[in-house]
Amino acid sequence: MKTHLSAFSAALAATGLLLTGCSGGSSEGNAGGGGNGKDLEVVSFQGGFGIDFFKQAATEYESKHPGVHIKVSGGPRVWEQLRPRFANGTPPGLTWPGWGMDYWALIYDNQVFPLDDALKTPPYDGKGTWKDTFDPSLLKLGEYQGKQYELPYHYNIMGWWYNPDTFTKHGWTVPKTFKDLLDLAPKIKAAGMAPITYQGMYPDYTIKGFLFPWVISVGGIKAADDAQSLVPGAWKSAAFLKAAQMIKQLRDSGFFEDGADGLSHTQSQTDFLQGKAAMIPCGTWLESEMRKTMPPGAKMAFMLPPVVDGGAGDPSAIMIGIEPWIIPTAGPNHDLAIDFYKYMTSVDKAKQFITQCGTLTAIKGSDQITLPPLLVEPARLFRESKTVYSIQFDTWYSTLGTESKNAMAALLNGSNTPEEFVDRLEAAAEKVRQDKSKPVHTMTH
Amino acid sequence: MRNRGRTAFIVTYLAPAALLYGVFVIWPVLQAIGFSLFKWSGLSSKKTFVGLDNFKQLFHDSVFWEALLHNAWIFVFGGGAILIVGIAVAHGTQGEGRLTKVLRSVYLFPNIMSLVVVAILWEFVYDPHIGLVTSLTNLFGGSHASAPGAVVQNTSILGNPAKALPAVIITFVWFSVGFYIMLFSAGIRQIPQEVAEASKLDGAEGLFRFRKITLPLLWSVGRISVIYLVINTLNVFALVFLMTQGGPDRKTEVMLTYLYEQAFVNSDYGAATALAMANFVIVMAVSGVVLRLTRKDPSGAVQ
Repeated sequence: MKTHLSAFSAALAATGLLLTGCSGGSSEGNAGGGGNGKDLEVVSFQGGFGIDFFKQAATEYESKHPGVHIKVSGGPRVWEQLRPRFANGTPPGLTWPGWGMDYWALIYDNQVFPLDDALKTPPYDGKGTWKDTFDPSLLKLGEYQGKQYELPYHYNIMGWWYNPDTFTKHGWTVPKTFKDLLDLAPKIKAAGMAPITYQGMYPDYTIKGFLFPWVISVGGIKAADDAQSLVPGAWKSAAFLKAAQMIKQLRDSGFFEDGADGLSHTQSQTDFLQGKAAMIPCGTWLESEMRKTMPPGAKMAFMLPPVVDGGAGDPSAIMIGIEPWIIPTAGPNHDLAIDFYKYMTSVDKAKQFITQCGTLTAIKGSDQITLPPLLVEPARLFRESKTVYSIQFDTWYSTLGTESKNAMAALLNGSNTPEEFVDRLEAAAEKVRQDKSKPVHTMTH
Repeated sequence: MRNRGRTAFIVTYLAPAALLYGVFVIWPVLQAIGFSLFKWSGLSSKKTFVGLDNFKQLFHDSVFWEALLHNAWIFVFGGGAILIVGIAVAHGTQGEGRLTKVLRSVYLFPNIMSLVVVAILWEFVYDPHIGLVTSLTNLFGGSHASAPGAVVQNTSILGNPAKALPAVIITFVWFSVGFYIMLFSAGIRQIPQEVAEASKLDGAEGLFRFRKITLPLLWSVGRISVIYLVINTLNVFALVFLMTQGGPDRKTEVMLTYLYEQAFVNSDYGAATALAMANFVIVMAVSGVVLRLTRKDPSGAVQ
């Protein structure tokens, strides 16, 4: 299997080399990007949304710009093919490398082309600047040291999901506060269901679905921003401790599905859809991820994680995440790559993406259509939220990200107390502070 | 003259193999040694020479030692189980009965399955709700925890810090053992008929014959098996990566899953190749020790 794989990737790498070879790729990282201005290779992560939309956009763009040739390819682990191409200076012109790519390492190594100049130019189909067409709270996630490196396309909203039919049938109301949740959970258990399940094998979900919403609810957005900015002591602040204690309380009360700590994302999400659990933390990708295995009649609806009664945080706070596109510095034909991406970010194309792929986009006004039913509520909550935030520390500081996941697993399976949990987080943050080789990021609101 | 022709002949025939070996084995190893002396993200040509820093860090990295310990457990318990089951089943399926013939074709099944399939299959076996293990527990008196009013009861296996590694080891044994049964079966069949018959005439029966005749004559096969086990258990990756990601909280972390983390999550290729070097040296060293310890063949054959 191993030899198979390496032969396969060698063949892929060779194809990649040939392709950039054909397009007259120059690895000079100048402002123009080199190249003949006519050929563009687009490499995209291929997940729940597929790559058909991008292929279709490429065909449309080609027909509008005679002589231009755009090749779109993708794969579910496309970052593995892109890594060696970045290393040897032959990356594609435009890429969405997917969640497995270390974007920040690329940026630190000057492998990503800054787009500030491009953002000052007019958009594809309107007035003003291209920059104005993006939602600013999403655009700022791709900034580093005052420069724009990553551009958002679609974005996800993180929250909880519940089955509205089950809630109606039993006469339950969706818990708005943690106290509501504690009151409701025994009733759910009495009905033979687990109140909450979660993706135990991937503690990322519970960090984003339990920990941070409650840190912010208890201590306000500053508590989370300080932690992400590595302010000394922030990871073991009262807000973090309280949030960890809330998680432990749910666990000790038996409000989590038994054995959830060993479930993969698909196992737990299937349990939720089969009605074994009443609620689950997950992003707006839930439907597209589970579409193929959804039991008939399964229903779901979005809710914000219940907030702490009397907490300092904004109850409308909402967590979002982007999966950015980048233009590699060493890629050929920067101008063409920018122009094609501009085309994709026109309001019409963005609206089309929402309809076709069932997810929201970062383009202002693109949600002014009949949204897919499951997106209506998250989109409304996002529009009305006064505090939009994102989790970035795990990609900025991978070791802290890993340690936070490990500590979360230990908290959920009971081998760490909330005190041990926050101590581990602070110790990992301290380690990053000591490591002078990693650039420091700050997050503010 | 004749000698020169002979040399030319040897060189010509060895050259392709030597070239391939050089390009695909020696060169990458040398390259890896080189990489391990640099700080490198693996994402650009920017490399900084750091000497032996990566090795120093590795030596002081508690995660590495924890991972190595897990590899050792897999070798001791997984490898031990494989040897025992392998020899026992090979010994038991030597007959020509219909059942043994069926068994002989069945035991290799897991081994020809893709590891991805094996991992997913066993994720289901260990599923806390629909899994075989949970169902069996329920059958034998364990209660289903989701019953109304039940207190918190941890039915998880892969999420349990004490059970996850044993669970992975069981899957490893299930997947690998067929290959070793095959090795031992071949070994048993190679035992000269005369020896087997002579021992029978002398009245050696059952366990006694197995212990005094079969086992010693299997020594060289056993030796090879142990070397294979050293390599396979110290290099285990896909199964762990797919089943537990090294979790929960690193309780199933092994050397190569940590290597993957260093290379692809932390973008620290220098640290990753230093780990690869350490792994290489450990595999060689343990293999060397095994060969040395098992040099004396109790059957008296010269190794």
